[in-house]
Amino acid sequence: MSATAAPARREFDTDKLFLGFCLIVPLAALAIFFAYPLLTVVMRSLTESDGGIGLGNYVRILHAPSFWRATFNSLVMSLSTTAAVLICGLVVAYAVHRCRVPGRALLIGAVSLPLLAPSLVQGLGLIFLLGRNGIITKTTGLDINIYGFWGLLIANGLYALPQAVLIIGAALRAADARIYEAAEILGTSGFRKFIDITVPNIKFGLLSAGFIVFTVTITDFGNAATIGGDYAILATEIYNQVVGQMNFNMGAVVGILLLLPTVLSFYLERVASQRQFGSVSDSAVPLVPVFTPKRDVPMAFAAWLVALLPIVTVAIVVFGSFVWLWPYRFDLTLRHYAVKVAGGYDPLWTTVQISVVAGVIGSFMLFALGFSLQRLPRHVVKPIYFICLLPAAVPGLVLGLAYIFAFNVPSLPVYALYGTATLLAICNVTHYWTQGFLTTMTGLRQVPPTLEETASCLGAGLPRLVRDVIVPSMAPTLVSVFFFMFMRSMVTLSAVIFLVTASVSVASVSIMRLDEAGFTSQAAAYATCTMGIVVAASALMRVSLWVLSRKK
Amino acid sequence: MQLHLQNITKEFGHVVALDDVSFSASAPEFICLLGPSGCGKTTLLRLIAGLSTPDKGQLLLGDEDLTRIPARQRGFGIVFQAYSLFPNMTVAQNIGYGLKIRGKPAAEIKERVGQLLDLIRLPHLADRYPYQLSGGQQQRVALARAVAVDPKLLLLDEPLSALDAKVRNELRAEIRELQQRLGILTIMVTHDQEEALLLADRVVCMKDGRIAQVGTPSELYATPANRFVADFMGVSNLMEQSVVRQWAGHLLNGHAPPADYIACIRPEDIALRPGATGARVREVHFLGNLSRIRLEWPGGMLVAEEAGRTSLVPGAEVGIEIAPHRCAWVAPQ
Repeated sequence: MSATAAPARREFDTDKLFLGFCLIVPLAALAIFFAYPLLTVVMRSLTESDGGIGLGNYVRILHAPSFWRATFNSLVMSLSTTAAVLICGLVVAYAVHRCRVPGRALLIGAVSLPLLAPSLVQGLGLIFLLGRNGIITKTTGLDINIYGFWGLLIANGLYALPQAVLIIGAALRAADARIYEAAEILGTSGFRKFIDITVPNIKFGLLSAGFIVFTVTITDFGNAATIGGDYAILATEIYNQVVGQMNFNMGAVVGILLLLPTVLSFYLERVASQRQFGSVSDSAVPLVPVFTPKRDVPMAFAAWLVALLPIVTVAIVVFGSFVWLWPYRFDLTLRHYAVKVAGGYDPLWTTVQISVVAGVIGSFMLFALGFSLQRLPRHVVKPIYFICLLPAAVPGLVLGLAYIFAFNVPSLPVYALYGTATLLAICNVTHYWTQGFLTTMTGLRQVPPTLEETASCLGAGLPRLVRDVIVPSMAPTLVSVFFFMFMRSMVTLSAVIFLVTASVSVASVSIMRLDEAGFTSQAAAYATCTMGIVVAASALMRVSLWVLSRKK
Repeated sequence: MQLHLQNITKEFGHVVALDDVSFSASAPEFICLLGPSGCGKTTLLRLIAGLSTPDKGQLLLGDEDLTRIPARQRGFGIVFQAYSLFPNMTVAQNIGYGLKIRGKPAAEIKERVGQLLDLIRLPHLADRYPYQLSGGQQQRVALARAVAVDPKLLLLDEPLSALDAKVRNELRAEIRELQQRLGILTIMVTHDQEEALLLADRVVCMKDGRIAQVGTPSELYATPANRFVADFMGVSNLMEQSVVRQWAGHLLNGHAPPADYIACIRPEDIALRPGATGARVREVHFLGNLSRIRLEWPGGMLVAEEAGRTSLVPGAEVGIEIAPHRCAWVAPQ
């Protein structure tokens, strides 16, 4: 047995170099593609029509009745949606996690459907059902006007429901059966247990879900564009200022003002989320609900009633895309799939490419950043962590607008990116950075520290540590982040709407254009194709995760 | 090969995890770092491994100053409590990983891995993945992986704590055997005094970030330096000098301990004389190989032990005898 020396000492520098690279590349990307564009929005909002700097734009906006109406509408819409979604979300999550109801996985799948669809699909589905030519409108002969508050409320609600169910569900899952057993032995009734144990335990989860729904709703553009009708909200106000009146600076002002409630709401969400999920005991005994007819039968009924809505809206869009002439001639046909306008299916393929690139760039960048953050002192990590939370608070439309200001400047080298699919991919990565970042950090934290330490003691440098230990250990997280970026990029509309050009466009914009032009069935066909790809991606993700989980 | 720790100090925020710790060890010693949780023993092991650096003090291996050398260049073998096998590698790949990093040819790695698999008696499991092994098997593989690169130092961080009692006993013996066969300087962290007594050539007993006593297991047991060590190393009867003077004055014959020192008498050193008087049996606990007897005695409660079963029953009067040379005088702190 000959003594085997540890690797030579100079390699220490390669570790430092590697770590620096992992840190600086994502940070530089955040500076160029997030901080700088947002600064341009601030600057443009302060640039007055005569070119001077001042608060004139703000003064003008704050004196415009249309702005106050949009603000009022946005707040009323977001608060109503939040209230409705919290109730429905609690019903579904409680039925799934705390009751014995049939088809629990299907329930979750049903409410999650809107996540797989472009946000216009809820609007389209409602139009097929309740629009002027909607099947319900026609069969009942009622005079329903779905365009406006109620239509938008339902569409926004459907869109936000899956996220609420996810968060409330996680809070409900964190229950400790022993507490309920102790209450049972003390003779506590089911209702009292709910009020005294369940509600206090999930209150921060409910708050967290509420703020998420509020943020999602107040920043949504797709639903408002399809079904909002004359109900003006802040997001459509930005769009109209920019696209309708070519008034970019006023768009910037509205964007900045829209940032205020979203940033606040997002901040409160983080606080609530930490309170809810910061202290889950490892030794908790999972709660397994026992079948209780007088609780479970009504809960099953209510939950399936809620879940029926997304199923029907999505199904009717798919069905409508195959129908000859909605709602007069129900012969099945593929004629709506022959999309001729707006570049045909080119934008769809562009979207797939953009989404793959976004998935690759996103998962690489987030991994590199997360990996380096784990090796830095706390006082350096904290501000970076904070910056990484910010993108989620920026409405997509504001980000898109920011990209116009930042990159549509011929005198700058970054102009080369303007109008390219690459910039769209980068914009999507930035838009969904926060969720990807939080997932990546969770994944990294789950790699046992002793595994890394063992490898270090055996002489592994950082690049080898990443390849041999960290990536294999957290492969499921990387796969999830890739597909998250991919699927979001497939369906997003708000950020990219300002960045598409005649030659480089995306699927959701095509759907919107087709719908605007009155080709509702073609819009449905286009949406169905998009959903098909996202569903396939989702299936592929599940298969990948299953394969990875077998070796554990 | 000699390891020297000189005045090592480490603070986490305002908490002093290690306070001026110094000791030396040389191959092929087996050293146990023993102490209750929070005493700094794991922090000390991590400093030796290079997984963290001390705020003050020096770490020398032979003539070489290792204080600022990162773990990967020290190349010590380490085994953690959580088995920490790479889940994506087979048993053979796990064991050969350190050699692979050092760029050894495949044939050499294969041969060495084969030797080690024989040594840990698991040659039939070479192609299994960690999740297919039991806890004891995983820990053996971790051990083989740690020694595969012929480290100058083997570090064990409570390697047996996660195992059930029977496997723990088996593996204890195997660790000791392997260590002696390889003649490798080994430092093991444990909070289990029985484990430390059984395995160690020398025990470093720690409390609150300081070394309470360093010595062979029998030194620590028979002549603890202070009350903490006496208490921590097994069961003991501790008596103030005033009590001794009043009720067992003969223990002070020929001894002149400092005034605040206290007497430490191990339970097995109290001989019980049935039929005589002086103490009364309060409780009898049968522990299998011995019986532990709690006694009421004018100087306070005493614990005595007898091998196997005892005929004593609660309430019985007994006489007690303590040989003066079995009494250790220990510092109060």
